[in-house]
Amino acid sequence: MSAASGSRAAKSGTGKSGTGENGTGGRGRIAERTFSHRLKVWIANPWGHPRFLVIVAWAYVLISIVPVIVAVQFSFNAGRSVTVWQGFDLTKWYFSEPAYSVWHDPRLQHALFQSLKLAGLDMLIATPLGVLLAIGLARWRGPLASASNFIMLFPLVTPELMMGVALFLVFLNLFKFIPPSTTAQVLGHVTFSLSYVVVIVRGRLFSIGKQYEEAAADLGATPWECLRLVLLPLLLPAIFSSLMMVFAISIDDFVISQWLSCGSDCDTVPIRVYSSTRGAPLPSINALAAIMVYMTLSAIGVAWLVHKFMTRGERPEGRGGMMQNMGGFDM
Amino acid sequence: MAGGAVELIDLNKLYGTMRAVDNINLHIPGGEFFSLLGSSGCGKTTTLRMIAGFEQPTSGHIILDGVDMTETPPHKRHVNTVFQSYALFPHLNVFDNVAFGLRRQKETPENVTRRVGEALELVQLTGFEKRKPAQMSGGQQQRVALARALVLKPAVLLLDEPLGALDARLRKQLQVELKTLQQQVGITFVYVTHDQEEALTMSDRIAIMSQGRIEQIATPEEMYENPATVFVADFLGVSNLMDGIASGADTGGRCKVKLGGTFELAAGRGSAAASGKTKITIRPERVRLEPKGSGGENRIPGTVQRWVYLGNAVQLIVGLATGDKIQALMQNSGEEIPYREGSEVAVHLPATALRVLTDTGVPLASEGD
Repeated sequence: MSAASGSRAAKSGTGKSGTGENGTGGRGRIAERTFSHRLKVWIANPWGHPRFLVIVAWAYVLISIVPVIVAVQFSFNAGRSVTVWQGFDLTKWYFSEPAYSVWHDPRLQHALFQSLKLAGLDMLIATPLGVLLAIGLARWRGPLASASNFIMLFPLVTPELMMGVALFLVFLNLFKFIPPSTTAQVLGHVTFSLSYVVVIVRGRLFSIGKQYEEAAADLGATPWECLRLVLLPLLLPAIFSSLMMVFAISIDDFVISQWLSCGSDCDTVPIRVYSSTRGAPLPSINALAAIMVYMTLSAIGVAWLVHKFMTRGERPEGRGGMMQNMGGFDM
Repeated sequence: MAGGAVELIDLNKLYGTMRAVDNINLHIPGGEFFSLLGSSGCGKTTTLRMIAGFEQPTSGHIILDGVDMTETPPHKRHVNTVFQSYALFPHLNVFDNVAFGLRRQKETPENVTRRVGEALELVQLTGFEKRKPAQMSGGQQQRVALARALVLKPAVLLLDEPLGALDARLRKQLQVELKTLQQQVGITFVYVTHDQEEALTMSDRIAIMSQGRIEQIATPEEMYENPATVFVADFLGVSNLMDGIASGADTGGRCKVKLGGTFELAAGRGSAAASGKTKITIRPERVRLEPKGSGGENRIPGTVQRWVYLGNAVQLIVGLATGDKIQALMQNSGEEIPYREGSEVAVHLPATALRVLTDTGVPLASEGD
């Protein structure tokens, strides 16, 4: 046994790190650091730090976030107005107010639970289906496969209103045994959120490549063992991202929920918010909307943490973010 | 260990109309370290992947120890692969990676633990069981990949450029280790590489491939000393290739070759009876430089055009009177080399080192190696 060579490998393995040679050679002249000089240098070097882009990006972030902040702010209003600030009350419109707070107004409470029910069911149905569809589409070759690939993207590009009308007509004329109901709403949500799952999972599949499956097959794994022991564990981050994504888009949906609604019993949060604001809105509506914002934010937060945890061993340098992995769009 | 004989019969692989592998016939006896050498796109990896079962041949047969494996799916073949990218499962630690194959064979946990331990000891990675692949260096990952494949005691181990991702020093060291390991375990290694030095130092036999075909199968020594085709001569090491007109054998059984219209040379290697247009070749280290005006056969006047110090040797590019450019390598023996750029010399091409090549093989790439 060549024991000596082993220790040599270990040495040369560790010896490489930490030899960053930064050539800090002496410069002949030191540039003057006056303002006008810097301005000249800055204008002369458009490839430096992208200041304009940074300003534009921050302006965009602020403009898009201000309405949300204002809406959330008024959910803490002490008075009954949604336009005039009357003092701060942390809990009033969430659960303290005995008749009209989110918790005590049966319509709001029901809408919240309806939304959660739809999003939860959608998440649990669309994700497994989408994962299987993605694996199938990634493995399947031929003209039919590319057609399926293309058709699969339809829900992503079809205007949601069209989707809603179409689904409504389908349930009205074709699947008559399913009346407008929670069931119809769930089926509708699954139909359009499936594509998101496929896109996310397929991106991850492509970045994983075929090498691990081949290695598993080479080591004697049957196709089923390959899927169970190698592919699914490697897809876990994408599966988790999909769950969160489906939850977020489902809870956000207005059009399809509305078209397939059975009336006030099927009202989701967006529908309730919409109809209330057309009447005499109370800050409880803001509170309801704010709850959705909190839930979406925490879903994204949880997704980020879990993704970070699950892929911690894969990139020691910490390169490549979640978004890169989650949405490896390859359209 | 007996077994591990691989036979490829009339193997073809077409991608559309592109012939990736073109009618390969090959017999690798058990226990041999066999290399498939060639530049990228020559079909060597495709051949390996067909032996592993990842690609289906368009036609032909793959026979392992007398059993036709052509239709057998990869997970039922008694061969294992070390991938170029290692393909270690990133979600499993070293122990589970190595144990993966054993567990698929429904080994008892005690056996798994024992055999994984043995395999890791073989590649000197004892103590690394709990590490994740990402926490290891390239060289260590390479060893894990090796252990993962060897632990199953395959009849044939397929290696697809396993050292390609490593730096030069580590590669040299692992070359020696791989060869030692192969002799230790005694199984057949089929090794794919584009690195000629790797192939020469490790292999029992080499097949040089180009454009899906095998150009020559020979031992490293035979391959280097007696390249069968112009392609092989050009691919393997630095060769000086010159155009000449051959006119059959002389009285000493050597081929008479006329170079540049005026210089008559005698070539002692290759087909002595060749006639007509041909290529002659000589290795740079066999070229002798002598002072200007030296007499004798196989001497051509020339001028040193470039003088490159390599450390252990000096490389001289000499422009011959025939118009050819030739490389000469002079060992750095401590003595002063009296030739510099511009020196007039007599270039001696010893007949014993000069080789006539009639078989061109595949057309050469525009740029020689």
